[in-house]
Amino acid sequence: MADDKDVLRDVWYGRIPTCFTLNQDEVTEREAEPYYLLLPRVSYLTLVTDKVKKHFLKVMKAEDVEEMWFEYEGTPLKWHYPIGVLFDLHASNTILPWSITVHFKNFPDRDLLHCPSNSVIEAHFMSSIKEADALKHKSQVVNDMQKKDHKQLWMGLQNDKFDQFWAMNRKLMEYPTEEGGFRYIPFRIYQTMSDRPFIQKLFRPVSPEGSAHTLGDLLKEMYPAAIPNEGEQKRYQVVIHGIEPLLETPLQWLSEHLSHPDNFLHICVIPTPTD
Amino acid sequence: METWKRDIVRQLKHRDRNQHAMFQDLIRLYSRLLEKTSLTKGLLSSSSRHPSSDSSRSISSLVHQNNQLKKTTGELAYQVVELQQQIKIKECVLEQQHSRLAEQQQRVAGAFGARQVLQDRVEQVQEENGVLKMKYDLLLEQQKGAEQNLREENVRGGHLLEDMIHLKQQAAARMNSRNERKSRAREANLQKQLQNATGSKVTVDSSSSAPTSRSTSPKAANHSNSSDRGHTRLFRSASVTSPRILTSIKGLFDRKRRGHSVCSVDEDRMFPVGICLSARLPVRALQVLDAHEQGINTVKFSSSSDLMATGGTDRLIKLWDVRAGLLTHRSTLDGSTEGVTCVDFDPTGLRILAASYDKSALLWRLDDSVPKLTLTGHSRKVTAARFSGLHQVVTGSADRTIRLWDLQRAACFQVVEVASYCSDLICSENSIISGHFDSKIRVWDARAVSCVQELPAQGKVTSLDISADHRQLLSCCRDDCLQLVDLRRRSQERMCFRADGFKCGSDSTKAVISPDGCFVAAGSADGAVYIWNVSKGDLETRLPDKHSSSISAVSWSLSGEYVVSVDKSRRAILWSDI
Repeated sequence: MADDKDVLRDVWYGRIPTCFTLNQDEVTEREAEPYYLLLPRVSYLTLVTDKVKKHFLKVMKAEDVEEMWFEYEGTPLKWHYPIGVLFDLHASNTILPWSITVHFKNFPDRDLLHCPSNSVIEAHFMSSIKEADALKHKSQVVNDMQKKDHKQLWMGLQNDKFDQFWAMNRKLMEYPTEEGGFRYIPFRIYQTMSDRPFIQKLFRPVSPEGSAHTLGDLLKEMYPAAIPNEGEQKRYQVVIHGIEPLLETPLQWLSEHLSHPDNFLHICVIPTPTD
Repeated sequence: METWKRDIVRQLKHRDRNQHAMFQDLIRLYSRLLEKTSLTKGLLSSSSRHPSSDSSRSISSLVHQNNQLKKTTGELAYQVVELQQQIKIKECVLEQQHSRLAEQQQRVAGAFGARQVLQDRVEQVQEENGVLKMKYDLLLEQQKGAEQNLREENVRGGHLLEDMIHLKQQAAARMNSRNERKSRAREANLQKQLQNATGSKVTVDSSSSAPTSRSTSPKAANHSNSSDRGHTRLFRSASVTSPRILTSIKGLFDRKRRGHSVCSVDEDRMFPVGICLSARLPVRALQVLDAHEQGINTVKFSSSSDLMATGGTDRLIKLWDVRAGLLTHRSTLDGSTEGVTCVDFDPTGLRILAASYDKSALLWRLDDSVPKLTLTGHSRKVTAARFSGLHQVVTGSADRTIRLWDLQRAACFQVVEVASYCSDLICSENSIISGHFDSKIRVWDARAVSCVQELPAQGKVTSLDISADHRQLLSCCRDDCLQLVDLRRRSQERMCFRADGFKCGSDSTKAVISPDGCFVAAGSADGAVYIWNVSKGDLETRLPDKHSSSISAVSWSLSGEYVVSVDKSRRAILWSDI
């Protein structure tokens, strides 16, 4: 459907205006100007911040430069989450642009993974795709692909080529019509209040009675608190790609259209802003 | 479109409007500004070093050129990246091809190795083939030699066969001529005798008894060698019935005929011919003795009545003198390698013939315990052996043949195939009579050796006996019945003798006719001797309680005085009427 294709395209081209500022504590030769960038929601921080690094290195001595990392309001940002998830989770209802602090020192080893090169990101990305396919098709589709097909997926993401990526990703989204969906929906539910990084369980797209499960069904099962009780103030927002889909949205459709390129449906549950 | 989808599309548009569209231009412009300022800074720093009076226009053109160069560099960099990716892909392909090449080379090497192995095997097999070929040639040569030998041997065998056939033909011709001469002479003789007989008158005085029979009986006269007692007894027993006188006349006839025979020297030899006028019915056992080591199969009196022979499973033939009602062991004849089935004296009483389980028949002279001849040729046990004249012997065998033997050549000259097991046979004047297991008695012409008559019997024939006048034939069958047939009458008329308790004990049980033809005797499985009266046709007497096992044979002395019975438990009993 043309509308579905538009949704896919909108999801792919989702951008977040971001302002990178150098940390105050960094030693610089002269004052560093802030750097503005539109970050793709579906990509990874370390993959799209080469320009940022280059910008700030101009004002720094080479000996003071260690591995670059990012922080937002005191929270180190995990590069291995998609950018959109980081934004929705930490900065949903703040004023744009999103202000990120850039660090070149004191890497927080306990909070973040090191990212020495793009191949680490590629490995992480491919493993996510494989994990998702294991849930969806018992890994059959991804195992049938050749190495160059895997490469095409990664290159599509790296070079921001929508058509290149979806030409291959289409196969990962297929399912036998008689079953009405994937075996299990690959999803992750993120929240800020918990120590657990995210919730991930097995959940079928179709109920045993044969009716399609909705986003509400999933939340009822995984995160009952996210659903407002009758006549009560809404306490939590359920955000995917910066929007709040209705709870009656079928889960299978969401998985097919609102999943990130790593094939997971990343759902953020955040407290409703009080003001 | 569903509500939720419409909602999503709307929210996405809203999001993009807020987050993307609003900031897009701003950020792009900011970036450009940032670039410009940094460039200006660079220029400023360079212009401070070279304070020449470059116009701002040249600077701007330089900036523009710089921008263009950067753009080109960016594009080139992008192309470089793309090309590098292509190189990577190509390298991948190249690597795969290299690995495939290596694999193929490995396989080629493997194939070479296999080919080497196969060539080795080919050489080996060729070598083996060569060896085999050599062997084969050698064998072929040997075979050629052997075939040559075979041909030569065949030729030699053919020559030998021809020689033999020639000799046989000569012998047959000789024999035919002799036989013809013999029979012609006999006929001439007979003719002469008949003429004599018709010419002379014979007066028969029916009322006279003893003196007449004494004077007319040539047998009595000839019995000079028999004992006085036997002589007187014979005299006493001579009765007045006409058939006996006729017999005595016939005996006279026989003697004369033999006396005038001119065929050969042997035939001229005189031998005693006993004629019994009246047999006496035995009532008592004179002597009971264990004659052999094992069961006794056969017993026979010689024609002179003072000698008896027994043959047993212990392979021996024993000769017994019969004097004064006692059996005295005279000598033992050995030579058979198996049990003896039948014994027979020759007409002169000087030789004895025995049939044996060892598939042969043996001939002894009475004064020599070593067999003079052994007649071999039968393929199974010989059941009967009889003299048929002085120089001819007939044997019957379980191999379903009857053989005729020439004693002078010690060879079989005739084999008669019969359909059935031959259990006993009898030689009459010109015929051979044989008894068989197929319940038939066959009469053969002695010259032509062809079956001239078949007489039926009730069961397996175990023995045959013929009366002294060659008219009556007695047969004993397994159906416990003795059968007497008149041979002259050629009728199916026959007498049967049965008795309660009489049971034929074996397949070779031998029954006899008394020498005067008035009685028949046989031993039973119950150990008793049964004697029937021929003229009355019923049981005359039964002699029980002496034998403890089945009686195998009985014999009646030609003088009529004695009966001997032998059994399977090596006992012999002499019976008489004394």
